[in-house]
Order: sequence, then C-alpha cells, then structure tokens
Amino acid sequence: MNFGFIIDNRKCIGCHACTVACKSEHDVPIGVNRTWVKYVEKGEFPNTRRLFSVMRCNHCEDAPCVEICPVTALYTRDDGIVDFDNRRCIGCKACIQACPYDALYIDPNSHTAAKCNYCAHRVDIGLEPACVNVCPVHAIISGDMDDPLSEITQLLAREQVTARKVEKGTRPKLFYIDGDDASLKPTSTEQSSNYMWSSQSAGVGHFAKYAEERISQSDPEKMAQQLAGSSAEKILSKTEEVIKEAQRVYDAPDKGIVWGWEVSAYVWTKAIATGAFLVPFLATAFGFTPVQNMIQWAGLALGLIFLTITGGLLIKDLDKPMRFAYILLRPQWRSWLVRGGYAIGLYGGLLSLIGAAKFFGWTDILRPAIWGGAIFAIITAVYTAFLFAQAKGRDFWQSPTLSLHMLVHAVMAGAATFALLSLFMESSEAWLGFLRTLFYCSIAFNLLVIAIEMLTAHPTADSKRVVKMIVAGQFSSLFWIGTLIVGNLLPALLIWLGGSALFAAGGVLVLIGVYITEHIWVRAPQLIPLS
Amino acid sequence: MSSKHKPGLIENIAEKLHLIPKLHDEIEPELPRLTEPGQLTDYPPPEKWDDWVEYEAKGWPRHEAKNYMIVPTSCFNCEAGCGLLSYVNKETLEVRKFEGNPWHPGSRGRNCAKGPATINQINDKDRILYPLKRKGKRGEGNWQRVSWDEVLDEIASRIRETLKAGKNNEVAYHVGRPGHEGYIDRVLKAWGVDGHNSHTNICSAGARFGYAIWHGYDRPSPDHANAKFILLISAHLESGHYFNPHAQRIIEGMMNGAKLAVMDPRLSNTASMADYWMPTYPGSEAAVLLAMAKVILDEGLYNESFMKNWVNWQTYLKKEHPKVTVNFENFIEMLKEEYKEYTPEFAEQESGVPAKMIIETAKQAGKAGTQLSTHNWRSAGSGNLGGWSVARCLHFLNVLTGSVGTVGGTSPSAWNKFKPNVFDSPPAVKFWNELHFPHEYPLAHYEMSQLLPHFLKEGRGKLSVYFTRVFNPVWTFPDGFTWIEALSDESKIGLHAALTPTWNETAYFADYVLPMGHSSERHDLISYETHSGLWIGFRQPVLREALRRMGKPVNFTYEANPGEVWEEDEFWMELSWRIDPDGNLGIKEHFISPYRKGEKISIDEYYQHIFENTAGLPEKASEEGLTPLDYMRKYGAFEVETTSYNKHVKELSKDELKSANVDMSTNTITKNGKAIGVMVDEIACSGFPTPSRKQEFYSETTVDWGWPEYKIPTYIKSHIHEENMDRGKGDFPLLPTFRLPTLIHSRSGNAKWLTEISNRNPVWMHTSDANKFGIKTGDLLRINTDIGYFVDRVWVTEGMKPGVVACSHHLGRWRRPQDEQGNRWATNLVDIQEMENGKWKMRVLDGIRPYKSEDPDSSRIFWSDGGVHQNITFPVHPDPISGMHCWHQKVRIEKARADDKYGDLFVDTNKSFEVYKKWLKMTRPAPGPDGLRRPLWFNRPLRPVDEMYFIEKKQDN
Repeated sequence: MNFGFIIDNRKCIGCHACTVACKSEHDVPIGVNRTWVKYVEKGEFPNTRRLFSVMRCNHCEDAPCVEICPVTALYTRDDGIVDFDNRRCIGCKACIQACPYDALYIDPNSHTAAKCNYCAHRVDIGLEPACVNVCPVHAIISGDMDDPLSEITQLLAREQVTARKVEKGTRPKLFYIDGDDASLKPTSTEQSSNYMWSSQSAGVGHFAKYAEERISQSDPEKMAQQLAGSSAEKILSKTEEVIKEAQRVYDAPDKGIVWGWEVSAYVWTKAIATGAFLVPFLATAFGFTPVQNMIQWAGLALGLIFLTITGGLLIKDLDKPMRFAYILLRPQWRSWLVRGGYAIGLYGGLLSLIGAAKFFGWTDILRPAIWGGAIFAIITAVYTAFLFAQAKGRDFWQSPTLSLHMLVHAVMAGAATFALLSLFMESSEAWLGFLRTLFYCSIAFNLLVIAIEMLTAHPTADSKRVVKMIVAGQFSSLFWIGTLIVGNLLPALLIWLGGSALFAAGGVLVLIGVYITEHIWVRAPQLIPLS
Repeated sequence: MSSKHKPGLIENIAEKLHLIPKLHDEIEPELPRLTEPGQLTDYPPPEKWDDWVEYEAKGWPRHEAKNYMIVPTSCFNCEAGCGLLSYVNKETLEVRKFEGNPWHPGSRGRNCAKGPATINQINDKDRILYPLKRKGKRGEGNWQRVSWDEVLDEIASRIRETLKAGKNNEVAYHVGRPGHEGYIDRVLKAWGVDGHNSHTNICSAGARFGYAIWHGYDRPSPDHANAKFILLISAHLESGHYFNPHAQRIIEGMMNGAKLAVMDPRLSNTASMADYWMPTYPGSEAAVLLAMAKVILDEGLYNESFMKNWVNWQTYLKKEHPKVTVNFENFIEMLKEEYKEYTPEFAEQESGVPAKMIIETAKQAGKAGTQLSTHNWRSAGSGNLGGWSVARCLHFLNVLTGSVGTVGGTSPSAWNKFKPNVFDSPPAVKFWNELHFPHEYPLAHYEMSQLLPHFLKEGRGKLSVYFTRVFNPVWTFPDGFTWIEALSDESKIGLHAALTPTWNETAYFADYVLPMGHSSERHDLISYETHSGLWIGFRQPVLREALRRMGKPVNFTYEANPGEVWEEDEFWMELSWRIDPDGNLGIKEHFISPYRKGEKISIDEYYQHIFENTAGLPEKASEEGLTPLDYMRKYGAFEVETTSYNKHVKELSKDELKSANVDMSTNTITKNGKAIGVMVDEIACSGFPTPSRKQEFYSETTVDWGWPEYKIPTYIKSHIHEENMDRGKGDFPLLPTFRLPTLIHSRSGNAKWLTEISNRNPVWMHTSDANKFGIKTGDLLRINTDIGYFVDRVWVTEGMKPGVVACSHHLGRWRRPQDEQGNRWATNLVDIQEMENGKWKMRVLDGIRPYKSEDPDSSRIFWSDGGVHQNITFPVHPDPISGMHCWHQKVRIEKARADDKYGDLFVDTNKSFEVYKKWLKMTRPAPGPDGLRRPLWFNRPLRPVDEMYFIEKKQDN
C-alpha cells in the first residue's frame, strides 16, 4: 500500500474548502495550516491568470522530517503515510527545517510539531481524508498508488504530473496535474504580509505568543496608527524586494524564523566548549608546545562550563523543554540531533573523566581519555553541520564545507578564549606563540572556507539567494564588517601588532566574529520561503 | 502506527524506570473498517448514523474512539443551503464537526469553506444566548436580559393593537438571508398583513427581472454538467447562487469538454479558470451579448424550430412591422435588421473585449446549440442602470440556440424548485403596502426595500412593529446612515425586533435582540435550482433530533439549543397565538394542528404534513419502514425528480382544454380570455407563464407600461458608462459587489476559520492606473462617492481591467465602543459622530486584535486589519424598471489627504436623499393599463388578492 495525493489543477477553483475542512477535522489553531491554498497571479492584462496551488505535506517516500526527527515523533507508516505522534515531540523544530515543502508548524496549543497526516485516523477505518470529501470539484484525489485500479494510479498513468522540488530527492507523493512553476516554486514570487484579502501583523505557530502579547497592549491609538501605516511587517523580516513576473496574491501566514538566537548561540558556545579542549590538545599531542597544567585545567573547566550552557540553550530552544531527555531516551539514531546529543554527553563525560584522571593520577586512563575527548570534541564541534545537512529544506546548509566551517570556528573560538584568559593567567611565551600561529592559520583557513562558501557556484537558486543576501543583501554589513573585519582581519592585525592587551582584544573580536557569522549562517537560509 | 511503535532498548528501559512516560502499554480499541484495506469511502453509511464510532483526530495516534450520532441538516451561510452532516457527540451532546451530506442531491456531500466553518458559528463565544431588551435610548448600547414570555407578550399585544386599529401595513417582516420563505408568507397571510420585505432588490432583482420578462420565471437553472459551452456573467466558481452545487457541475462540464467563457471586468477566480476571459467594461455586457446574438443570426446558427414554436414573433411582427407578412423568414430578417448596429466592433468599442473574441465565443455558443448553459446572477445585472437587460440579452442567446429547458441548456428556475403543500393556506392578503411596492415602481421585481428609510423620512408611512431577520441593512445596504437615522427614530418605527444569531450593525438599533438558531439549530425546508432535477433539503435542529433519537424528546427547539436560543418557526407560532388568544382576529385558526383538534400546531406536525404530501416521499419512506418525516430526519434530503427538462412541452389535460380556443396566427391556446398554452406540432403544450405562454422576445408589457424603447432585448447604457466619466478628474467606475469564496455578507463574520483567510478589502486597481496616481500596493486612497467618501488601501494588480476599480463588500464590519462585543474576529472598533445634521463621520479607533476568551484561538489573531465599510458611502440607485439597486458607483479617486486615516468614511445623508429623489424622477409610475398598479401576470412575494393590483380600488393604508 502506498498512499499519495493528486491535486488536479484543471479543476481546483481555489475555494479554501480543504483548508477549512482540515481545520475542522483536526481543530487546527488560528494562524497555522495543515493544508492551504496559495494564489499566484501571472501574466499581463488581459492575459492574466490566477493560479491556485494546494500546499501540504507531500508524504515523501524519503521523508527528511522523519530522518531528522530525534524522537520518532514523525514516522512513515507501512501504507506510505507520514504520520506523527505529538506525545513524543520535543518541539525542536528540526522537521520544520528539514521539510522542503513548508508542511510543518508548531501547534500553539500543544507546542509540538504538526502537519497533514493524510487523516490517518480516518484512513484506518476506511474513510477519505476530510479535504478529499469536502472538495466541491473533486480536485484532490487520494488513494493507493500500488493498486492498479485506483483512481489515483490511473490518473498518474494517463496525465502528465509535476511535483514540488523533486531535486531534493525526497520522492514526494503529492502530484499536480497542470502544476505551474510560478506557483509551485517558492522563489518565483515574493512573500508579503499583505495580500489581496488578507494580512498578517503578528506571528503564528511557534510565535503565536507575539499575537498574545498584543492582548495586553491596550493602546488603540497605536493600533490605529499601525493600521494607518502602509504595512505592518515588523515581525516578518523579509528578503529584498524583487520584481517578479508573477505575484503571490494569497498565501497562508508566514511562520517566521523558528530557529532563533538560541541556535546560533548554541553553535557558538559549542565552539568554545570544544575549542577550549582541542587547542591545548593540539599543542601537546603533536608536540608543538607543552601546555601549563593550569591552562589544561582551564581548558577542561571551560569545556564543561560551555558544554553545560550549550545544553541549556538546546533545551531552551525546545518548544517542549520538559521533554529534553527524550533526545537521549527515545533516540532515533538517524537523526544528527540524537547523535549530537550523545556526542555532547560523551564529550562531557570524557572531560570529566580526564579531570578525574588528572586529579587522581590515573595515568593509564588519562591518555586514551584525552584522545577520546579529542575525537568527541571534534564530533561535537562539527555534528551540527551534519544536522544542518539533514535540514533539507535549507539549501544553503547543504554545503560540504559546513563541517570545516564549524571545526575551524571551534579552533578559533578555543584560541580566542585562551587569548582572553592570558590576561588573567600566566601564560608561557611558547603557548602564546602557539596560539598566535594557530590564530593566523585558523583565520586564514576560515577565510578560505568562507571564500569557498561565498564564491563557488551554488547548485540551487535558494543557495544563491542566501549568498546574495549575505554579501550584498540585508546581511551584507553584518557580514563584511562583522564576519570579515571584526571577526577575522582586525584580530589578525591586532595579534600581529603584539602586546597582551591587543592579543586579548583580538581574541574577543574573534569570538564576536564567530557569533556574528553563526547568526548569519543560521538565520539567512531561514528567510528563504519554502512554499 | 504509534500504538505499534516498537520502543528501542534505551526507550524501553527508560520507560520501565519511569524516567519518561509510558507510551507503549495502552490497550487501544481497533475500530472496524468500512472498506477493504487500501480502499477509501467518503461517508459512513446511513445505517450506522445513529451509532457511529470513529477515532478522534486530536488524540491521534492514540485510538481515542468517539461515539457520534450523525444528524443531517442544511448550511445557512449562503443561500444554496447545501447539505451538512453534524456529528453529535453522544456523551457530551456537543456538535464535533460538520461535513457534507452525501444524500443531498444538490451538494452531493461536498461543501465550500463555509460549510465546515458552521461549527465556528455554533461555538462562537460572542454569540447572543438570551433575549435582550434595550435600556435607554435606541442605539445607546444598553441592554438587559428579559424573558421570552415578556418578549412574546409585548410584541404580540402591540401587533394585536395595530391590527385591531386596521393599520395592517404597519407590521412588517424584513428578511436578509432567506430560507423558510414559504413559512413566513403563511404567517403574514394569517395575520393579514402585506408585511413581507426582503433584500432581493439589492441582490438579484435585476437579473431576475431580465429573466421574468422573457418567460415569467425569474432565475436560470443552467445544466452545466451536460453543456458544451458555458457562458457566465457571474463568478459561480467562487460565489453566487449556488456556488458549490454549480461549481461542481461547471467543472464536470469542463472536464467533459465544455468551454467556459466569463464576462467580468475583474479577474475573478472563475474568470481565471475560463477558456475565454472577457473583461467587459462594466455595464457593456448587453452590448457584447447582442453582438454575439448578431453573429449567431448572421451565421445561421440559430435554432429554427425552437424559435418558430416558442418565440412570440408573430405578435412582434404584427405590432412592430404591420406591413410585413407574418412569417418566420421575415421575422429573422427583421431580427437581423433590429440588431444590425450591434457589430462585434461596436461591442468591442463599448466593452473593450476584442471583436475577435466576441465572434469566436458567439460561434462556440451557437454551435453548442441546445447545450448552451448560461447564468447571470448578480454581477452586471445588479451593478448597472438597466442591468436587468443583461440577463435579458443573455437569455436571448438561449432562445436563439433553443437551449431553453434542454439537456445541457438552461432551464427556468421554478422547474427545479420544489413547492411544498402546507397544511393550511390562509387567504391572500387584502392590503397593498406602498412602503414595499410603491406606485412609482410598478414593475419592480421585488420590494423597494432599499428605499424604506427614505419613504419613512418622507412620511409615506410608518411602522408599528418591524422585524428584521438575519438582516443587516445598516451594514449591507447602500446608505447605511440613512438606515441608522430611520431606525433611531421611534416615531417612524415603533418597535424594532432583530431576530439574529449574532450581533450585527442593525441589531445595535433594535428594541429587542432575539437570538435565533444558527443553521443546525432550527427547522427549514430548502429547495433550489442547483441543476436539472428537483429536491428538498431539510434543515433540522440537530441536538433536538439527537435527543429525540436517544429517547429524550423535547417540545421546543430552544430546550435543546444553547442558552435560550429559539428558532423562528416556533417563535411565529407562539407569537401568532398570543396575538389572537381568543381567536377573534381569525389568526389563531391557521395555527391549529391538522392532527390534534383545536390544539396548537407543533413544528414536527408542520413538517410532517408537508412530507406526507410530497410526491414520492411517502412511498420512498415506507420502503424503509419509515414515516415521511422520519425519512427526512434521517437523510435530510429527498430527490423529488432526478431530471426536469422541457417542462414547457408538458401536455395540457383534456380538462384544461375544455372550452379552450387556439389562435391560429400565434398558436396560443386561450381559455376564458387567458392564455393557457401553445399548440406545437399539434400538441397542446402548457408553455411558459407569460401572457403569450411563449418566450417573450417582444414584451407588450414594457410597451403597455410606458417603456416602449425596451420592447425587445436592448442594450441600456449604464449610469457608469464611459460617457459619464470625467477621467481627467479621477473618475472611475467602482465595482463594489464582488464576493470572496470564503465569506458571505454579514453571515460569515463570526467564523474564525473564514476570517483568518480573508480579513481585508483593498481597492483593486490596474497597474497602469496606479502608475498614473503614482501609488503602489498598500497606499491609501480617498474614494469619493456622490454622498461622501471612504479611505482604503489600493491593491495593484494585472487582474483588473484598466480604468475600472473594484472592492469587495465583505469586510469592514464594525462595532462602537458602547456596543456589545460581537464578532471580534472581524469587527473594527469605530467612532461614529454626527457632525451636524445628516453629516456622519466614522473613524476606526482600533482594529482587530487578539483577546482572551474560552477559545484559545481568540488570543492568536494574527491580523489587525478588518477592512473598510464601503457600502455605507453609497447612495440608493433604484433602477426605474426592475427596482434593483444599481450597485456600481461612479467614484472620484484621489490620494488620501494628510489627515485621512485608513477606514475613515464620511456621508451626508441630505445628499443621499437628493440622489434618491433624482433616481425617483426616472420612474414612470403606475397606473398602467386598466388602472393597474402592477401587471397582473407579474408575481410578487406575498401576492395579495387580485383586486389589490388595481390602484383605483386602493385600500386605505
């Protein structure tokens, strides 16, 4: 059995009955949708046409949401339906990043992810999904694609169909007859907060709290002013205006950037947590320079402290923070969130073991523990790149250099931390010299990685758009000043100029630069509309 | 599958150690399947409806079984009355959801967005649950809860006094969303009042008149599913009567190869689906249609046999061309002569639609022959001066192609609309209410409802008791401020009772606000011309029916409804008894049970009697061992006829033909001086309900009533014709009538799922026009009408005809600070000031904002824009013939001024009165021939006795 959908655009009249029937069946809260109809206008008068596209979960054969979900809250059933269990969901929102189709949202009632589940509760007793039933023109066709006699199989055999983003390799099972790129490709048109008969001035789903906040704003005058203004896009930060041949004229509300500062901050603290151990390890393990004991202890302590903060940020980012332990206790091993979670745990454990071994003089254990620590530090530093790569919705994160980017950031952050520490701790000249060399090398390597990420040809339009946003768009000043000057060139100069204060200042700038860079790298790709 | 999820080692241990909740040891019920695995069906079979168990979606993937009683009822959002199935939770007696009713022949189990959204209206936290009586002055916003007994007694005694004083014309019932019209007509007849008023003259009366003048029937019933060419001057793929049923069949027809052509200056969703989008300049549609007619004539694509038999061409030739020999060939020649000026090039010049497209669509329509389905619902018919001629010219194409009443053609509405047999029919009323049918508008198709406040202002009459039912003229009608003035004047309207499920702008100005049930909380009988066929749909209060099935019957619907929400049917019964407690007024006798001697009829008995007397229903019911009433309670619908074609060729009976004569020159059969049929191929056919029993190409009525220029289908230049536009000063025609697929006037505002999809109504303008103003989407415009202005944003689009602007009337609901908090999903908070006499200003104080309520969704409102109320800035534009309000406006557009704010509006009601007077001057008042105030063959709602049609015998009113 293999259930799929056809949306027959020869028939779809864009009436939104499916949207509302779905809301009714599942009691979907205001602001979010399991299925919705996007309207795009195309062509010049009088050759204008309005295209209607029903958008929803594609019930992919290789569903990236299932792969990335750390707790098997999302899963593919034997009949091909991608279903979910909100009792397991921790609200990590990785699925929202993984789905190229914008199908998932955070339910503001349950604070868990949700999406179209093909009305599995109906299918299991033999009933059509609610949207299929309600559709006035039978434009939504459901059925078993393994059954040669089913309507869907016969239509698929007879009619030419398209699907959304087949290049993602997700093998979507929602097909459009007469699908049009202007509507199916999100980048063909711009999002807006004001459409032909709808508007959005506050957040939805994960951000529903911002709408709730407005309840307390008992300031009608302000509201009237807001209404009088030409647009209310404060919550929705948008990409630059691009004049397109087609215009998006109705769409469901934008769900916003669901991975916010907590995620960039956690990548940053994780870089410090791993760099603080890796840098002294590099110095000693390869015989560059001996490292004073105090520095080693500082590295271990910083590693543990920042690892704890990292964990705290990870939990804070969850919409169901009390379920954080599910990552470890209901593990779905294909998810890099789980692998990363265990890596963090093991890395933390190894740091503690090294500390204990050093303290109690367990010399037999110490050496393997240190090497183990180094391996897990590296895994901890770079796993986020693999997690991001699992986030198939975000093209820019599919970069093969992202793991190098994370690793070199860890080294830079580690070196920077020790540079800052040198103000407070006596540091040998050899150690400082090693750090200096490490700075030069890592900054140079970092610039190379960034250059590769920015300059090499990107395979997809979405990635190209992100690069454009970074180098020439809304992130350009942050990038050129924050990442390049503050985070790389200026520290290199300060370190070259010498002096302990400048050296430490260089370290601070590197840390700022790493944060800014991660902020851009986490945020920018999320501005690309998925639908 | 979650129940089948196999926990891994770690999870297993963690659950066992109680580190995390156990998700794997629940024993969950497996419900039986309706189908083989892999197969799906649409609805549970009716035999399971009394005890249906399904999984609750919200609990999924847990197998949370819920036990429902499935009770059919009917939707009450738009007029279509599509079938609904309610899922009544047997434990909590709450309705969980509404789905379509697969047994409903019109909607066939499918719905538009508004059907399932009915549950929002039921669960609306802002709805009115108890009867309210005003405290302080009318409109001040102070209310107190009262008992229904008090309400009924006070209103009844007032009506009683009014009737006893012979002021029968001072009692009126004014309805917005119809339904139960058969019911209320009976009540008003029993009371002996000419008291029916409606919304039809601001809705569809224009097109209705255009159809009625052809063949007596006032609406088309296109058979889209079997058509080869579908021509719409409407947007039936998103709106209109009857959106969902028609959309189904239009798409069905298209999938079978039919081509679709749509005339609309705006790219409606329907136009977007069309093979031919014909963006006509508003008001030019008739010119295009006549050009198409000319092509059909010139190409010889007309249906000779239909025309020969069924058009009154002989009369036309005799009257208009007395020198010409009366034969069909000459008729065709004269036709060609009549329409020779309507060249495609002329039509292009008027409409902007390329002549090439006009020729092509005309040929397609002609070649479709008897399979041409057409519709003009409101659209151009209700927008323009002379808009009725659009429907008339459209139907002309059906006549030319012989597609009247055919398979794939267009039938008259009444063939597909059921007329119930009611247990008791009070005699026709012996009054004529000039407030409803004034002598200036003898041909008005419906009541001149939009003029009521002006009539009151002029002192033409007053109202002692005025019921408004699901009727919101302050917001929906043109000239709302004049309505506010009239409603506020207690000397003009003695008592205003608003019957409504929810707060609306008109109820703010009532003396009583009486909560009535939503669609699933009351009874009604529904039948509409959704397709060729004949069906009845039953609306029933689903909780009442569920209680009955559970063996806990109630006597009145309010006992099952939330709060003290009544249903109108029972309200009228109770009220009627109280008006005439001792039977002296002769009212009570019409509300006596046909089954229990001398006792008050119950609502069940009322419908029982109808269903027992519905052809075929008792037999169908008995096949299942059910009474007719129980059959309708179970299925909610009954198909009286599967198809209903060609009813005009129904043979007259021998009885009917007794002492009848045939006029050999016209083949018309007459009896006692009245035409009763037509001889066609030696068969006596009943024909159409016109004076000639034929399709009246030539209307003697228009000639007799002083409009000879409109004796045949003609193009009438609209009041917004290009000639009347001063483009240099920013004049534009404004189309204010378009509907969204999700909303329906006042009715849908309190449905959160609909409001979240559509919540604002910017002014649509073509890119080139916007460029001339130097504005972009979102900029503010001041739209000046003849009586004021409104300030709205612009929506720049390629989906609008250049030189024309449009704005949907659906949004812009409001409440004042003193009003009850109703419908906060969609109402702006506004300040209304009467600056000086008749000069009204409205300013938006606050938009839509989230709020705390028992429904967590109310705190998640993400929109702040509630739209702009435009209709209130329009004056009345009654068409002098059809009486239809001509909605389109000539507006003067300017960029918003410095102190203009979004949503601002201003109206001077003195000016609206002037405009009313100006349009009144265009009329050609009664009496017509024989001192008639209205042609006798013209029906009207609540038709009084024939004597009342004569002005000379005018009663004292």
